[in-house]
Amino acid sequence: MEKSLSSGVFVKPIAKDAQTEADIPAGYGRTESYLLPKDPAWLFLFWEITSGTLDFLRGQYGADTLNNARTIIRLHDVTDVPMFNGTNSVCYYDMPVIFEARSWYINAPQSGRSYVADLGYLTTDGQFILVSRSNVTSLPPGKISDIIDDKWMIVEGDFQKLLKLAGADYIGMGASERMQVIGQRWKLTELTPSGAPSSWSSFALHLDKVQEDEDIWLKADCEIIIYGSASKNAIVSINGQDIELKEGKFSIRQHLPAGSVVDLPIHARNAKNDKHRHINIKALREQGK
Amino acid sequence: MGQEKGYLALVLHAHLPFIKHPEYPDFLEEDWFYEAMVETYIPLLNVFENLTEEGTDFRLTMTLTPPLCNMMEDPLLIDRFAHYLNQRVELSQKELNRTQGTEFEGVARMYFNKFRRYQDLFENRYHRHVLQGFKKFQDMGKLEIITCCATHGYLPLMVHKESVNAQIKIAANDYRSRFGKSPRGIWLAECAYNPGDDKFLRDEGIRFFFTEAHGILHGTPRPKYGIYAPVNCPQTGLAAFARDMESAQQVWSAESGYPGDPRYREFYRDLGYDLDYDYIKPYLHSDGVRRNIGMKYHKITGKVALNQKQAYDPYAAREVAAEHAGNFMFNRQKQIEYLSTIIDRKPLVVSMYDAELYGHWWYEGIEFLEFLFKKIYYDQNDIKLITPSEYLAMYPQNQVVQPSMSSWGDKGYHDVWLNSGNDWIYRHLIKSSERMMELANKFPNADGLLRRALNQLARELVLMQSSDWAFLMTTGTAKEYSTKRTKDHIKRFNELYEQVQGNRINEAYVYDLEQRDSIFQQIDYNVYSSASKEAVLSKY
Repeated sequence: MEKSLSSGVFVKPIAKDAQTEADIPAGYGRTESYLLPKDPAWLFLFWEITSGTLDFLRGQYGADTLNNARTIIRLHDVTDVPMFNGTNSVCYYDMPVIFEARSWYINAPQSGRSYVADLGYLTTDGQFILVSRSNVTSLPPGKISDIIDDKWMIVEGDFQKLLKLAGADYIGMGASERMQVIGQRWKLTELTPSGAPSSWSSFALHLDKVQEDEDIWLKADCEIIIYGSASKNAIVSINGQDIELKEGKFSIRQHLPAGSVVDLPIHARNAKNDKHRHINIKALREQGK
Repeated sequence: MGQEKGYLALVLHAHLPFIKHPEYPDFLEEDWFYEAMVETYIPLLNVFENLTEEGTDFRLTMTLTPPLCNMMEDPLLIDRFAHYLNQRVELSQKELNRTQGTEFEGVARMYFNKFRRYQDLFENRYHRHVLQGFKKFQDMGKLEIITCCATHGYLPLMVHKESVNAQIKIAANDYRSRFGKSPRGIWLAECAYNPGDDKFLRDEGIRFFFTEAHGILHGTPRPKYGIYAPVNCPQTGLAAFARDMESAQQVWSAESGYPGDPRYREFYRDLGYDLDYDYIKPYLHSDGVRRNIGMKYHKITGKVALNQKQAYDPYAAREVAAEHAGNFMFNRQKQIEYLSTIIDRKPLVVSMYDAELYGHWWYEGIEFLEFLFKKIYYDQNDIKLITPSEYLAMYPQNQVVQPSMSSWGDKGYHDVWLNSGNDWIYRHLIKSSERMMELANKFPNADGLLRRALNQLARELVLMQSSDWAFLMTTGTAKEYSTKRTKDHIKRFNELYEQVQGNRINEAYVYDLEQRDSIFQQIDYNVYSSASKEAVLSKY
């Protein structure tokens, strides 16, 4: 049944390092995490947690405490905090996470701030148990500054004119065209006439960009994350492809292009293949207008 | 200062990732370098030569990235390029006979004349060292050559400042060895700026860098002149120049950009596919597969199928290039005239492009530039071409603004280099950088084989950091090659790391890597030691 629903979207299991890239290390045998900036609104956190670390924590806090605890990312706002010690942040935000995912995109609460991400357990009685602390990362403000320099004053109306001239309304736009062109350049040696665009002016943009206009424009992109867990003896597939469970959990991330329907049927079976469970997830992204 | 109303700084970024495969007799991706040499780099030098001969003064700023400089001086690649060029001369000569009396006679003659001229420059004027050509025009004060991150590494995604420092230091040292002085400017790879990285630039004597428009527009405090004057970074005083979108769009826009004119050369209709197989075979790769060979006889024509394209007329295309150069200049005159009614100093427009757009992509782009230089010099007095260094000499005082983190990539930040298609690389890039620091601190005075191994580790690290690989994974072009390159450098790094840690360095293995990944012959792994970083940081 899943097969017939399948839209043919290829799903990569998260543990691709281990499965298909055996030639480079899957991990480096150390518990650690790194936080990278992506844009004013997003951070990327990736980590490795060794079984030694988990064993140690179980020994310290008891296996029951950890099994009943939620695994979270605690994102600390450490803007202007000279030495972060785990408790002196401006504020923090908790979000659930699956340790086995090994990486996570975090929607930052505020642009222009500095963050540290703590991975850890939140116990039923509210205690936070740290597993790994990331580096500090600062995000760009993503907007015109409110701070005005007394020595370099400019009439507001003139400043607005300058902004308009400089294309402040179109920041980041136009770059995708450039990327297309440059991207094409690398492909030259692989080109066949049938696959080639017919001319410079025929480049289509893949980005869902809705009508660049003087007054209004809109851009959006989308990735979906599917995560879950299954009994340890289950063999789980998403869209017909088996995925690796790590301690019974899984997570995949998938780009959702404009104008596409993604079917992600999730199927679990036991080793004998006589018991089955299904969850169907379907996402639709309409083409922009 | 003269009577001009404002200034135009043209900046061309010439870059290719380091691609060299001595293990194969010929290698497809090396063609990127040979094509760019014959379509962009040497043609640009030809323009400089022509302008100088006829007494036209011009100013241009150009990045020649360290990987490109290394390839331009690599004996194997230069040998292979000489062969590539010679084959073009040979084929275009044969084509003179074949096309005689046909509509393609003119375009065939054009290729023959150009290839012969470029071969003459390459062999007889520069004696195969094209960098000497660029250096000559820099020494004459017409060209300002700037550097780039050592391997086009994407600085904002480097967690360890030692890696940022190394990317800058290795680049600056490479520049000094080639141009006999310190670089005054740098094109940060992908214009990706991270606040604070300017400290590492200053330490190498660099005075200015470039950002995307919002790098300055989103700076703190508000930039009084918008993007029409540079700002100085707090603490370091480095000048940041921002990219003008208007002039960028005029050339880049897929819809309205100049390169789409129907009279220009069609990129995708190539002789590699059109000619008889037996005739063209000697000019294909050894696998004998038909591919582009860089000779194209048709014009864009319009939105028609490739087989409907009409014959290219080099003279008509040249007229269009002149027309477009005039239009570009006119628009800059109007832009600067309008700007000078708003701001109280002579405005500066900074037009930044990938160099390979000119000639390689937009075939007539080279002639466009030549016409533009001439028109600006002879036909008007409103605008003047300028280099960043000349501008800073004229205006040493600039507003102090902390530029914002930014890049010139799609969406303006790091999405192109950090997304679900390529984010797996950072685990390895960051770990390798940490391991490199660990070894540099452990062996501060290595010599002999250990030193060679450590230096090679540094080469593998910077090569895996090239932003090109993550970029190509995102665009989906050459994805397989870029993925393989990333993994190869990770594998080689880790293998060598284990050998060093286990005190069992295999000399044959080191030698093999030295031959393949031979970038930066003078690299010194000590650039990764913590002492080196403290030396930088202690100054602030």
